[in-house]
Amino acid sequence: MTLPLSAIAMLIFGSVVLYGGLIYFLYRALKHKKK
Amino acid sequence: MAAVGSAVGLGNIWRFPYMCYKHGGGAFLIPFFIAIFTLGIPLMILEFTLGHWSQGGAPKTFAKIGRKWEWLGWWPLLVEFITVIYYSVIMAWCFNYMIYSLDLRWGSNSEGFFISDFLGLTNAPEILGSIRLPVVLGLLCIWLLIYLIIRKGVKNIGKVVLITVPLPTILLVILAIRGLTLPGAIEGVSYYLTPDFSKLWNAEIWLAAYSQVLWSFSLAGGIMITYASFLPKKSDINNNAIITCLADAGTSFFAGFAVFSVIGYLAYSTGVGVTEVAKVGPELAFIAYPTAVTLLPFAAAFFGIIFFIALLTFGIDSAFSMVEPLPVGITDKWKISKQKVTAIVCLIGFLAGLIYTTGSGLHWLSITDYFIANFGLALIALFECIVVGYMFNIRRLRKHANDTSEIKIGRWWEILIKYVNPIILISLFLMVIYENITGRYENYSTFALMIGGVCLAIAAFVLSFVFMKVKGEKEL
Repeated sequence: MTLPLSAIAMLIFGSVVLYGGLIYFLYRALKHKKK
Repeated sequence: MAAVGSAVGLGNIWRFPYMCYKHGGGAFLIPFFIAIFTLGIPLMILEFTLGHWSQGGAPKTFAKIGRKWEWLGWWPLLVEFITVIYYSVIMAWCFNYMIYSLDLRWGSNSEGFFISDFLGLTNAPEILGSIRLPVVLGLLCIWLLIYLIIRKGVKNIGKVVLITVPLPTILLVILAIRGLTLPGAIEGVSYYLTPDFSKLWNAEIWLAAYSQVLWSFSLAGGIMITYASFLPKKSDINNNAIITCLADAGTSFFAGFAVFSVIGYLAYSTGVGVTEVAKVGPELAFIAYPTAVTLLPFAAAFFGIIFFIALLTFGIDSAFSMVEPLPVGITDKWKISKQKVTAIVCLIGFLAGLIYTTGSGLHWLSITDYFIANFGLALIALFECIVVGYMFNIRRLRKHANDTSEIKIGRWWEILIKYVNPIILISLFLMVIYENITGRYENYSTFALMIGGVCLAIAAFVLSFVFMKVKGEKEL
């Protein structure tokens, strides 16, 4: 069985918001700390 | 990191994935993300700012807002303390199961083992049954560990979270990889993620998402206020708050893969549907997961141990974060030795927890959890928003947050705290009231619900006023 397309879409959506967001704010925190 | 450790707990593993599956699969992510951005992050920023601004625990913070509001600082601490009394018992179960994993002691009947052999569960809360010695010993170890970690305060906590935050995450990754390589795993994950958008029209899914955010982020418990009071003066409050929320939600989302891949494997191995084996809470951790572990083709004991170590390490930093604010608050007000207060608080926690180690423990635990988590947190958060929004100059807090942060928050934050969140929190509260009017929780007797739930919730509320009225060594 393969994962339905709609499930893959939600997987990408969830990952982008949560992990993308986390990486972005961690990056900004590190950048700010360096300054 | 301590704030992330506090927020990420057992609920991320055993509650979020099930909530997602139950409320429209991947579609649940939409209300969940909206709840994060409208309730979770604004409230987290509020609590971080309050702690950083007051440089003290929750009672000191609210006393600084106005002397008559000091009780609002004690109330969450007492609610969290009641929570940790039963939370530590669940951790004691994990501790026992970690040892049982060595020889997979639950055998082929994990449900019978958990309910009868391990808990000796009675038919009703009123029938106490006998105290379960293994649970008591586990509970003693957990409280001893909590005491050793928090007795020296925040410096010690800072060292401990360097292990207890990354370790369970690594273990979760191992469990997810193992789970996803098992037959049937994809079907399990499919149940977790395939969206049913029609459910988005149901108000219940939205309230469930808001309730999950409030509960999972350790908000309204005085924890974040206490931790933020230890932040250096130049800390980036807003960014720290956002990172804490996203790290917690990210762990929940990832845990779904570790849990549902194994649920899928369990369904595949036993030849039943995923709907029949998908469980939530203790049933997932102590019945469904152990059954799946027994069926693993190799290294079953190893993965059993890893799972329960992950639960223990996820839970321990949540547990000590629930205890820590109370000694901090007491020390702030009465200037008693922190080590002594911590020892007394831990001893009371252990002794009070003994009720949950009896044969009726699971019943009492379920009742207390339902009332404290549903009524307590929503009400405290509501009062926080109202007091800060209407009885205090919220703009001053926004300025304080922005002065120390690189990411600035705008007036939208004030609108969310003053108008939007109170409406959401009142709706959450009314929903629970409605649930209780239309049906009795798990069909427990009124006596049990009153003693284990309502009376405890009221006791915490009344005690918060007593703590405020008793004169301290120093004005807070």
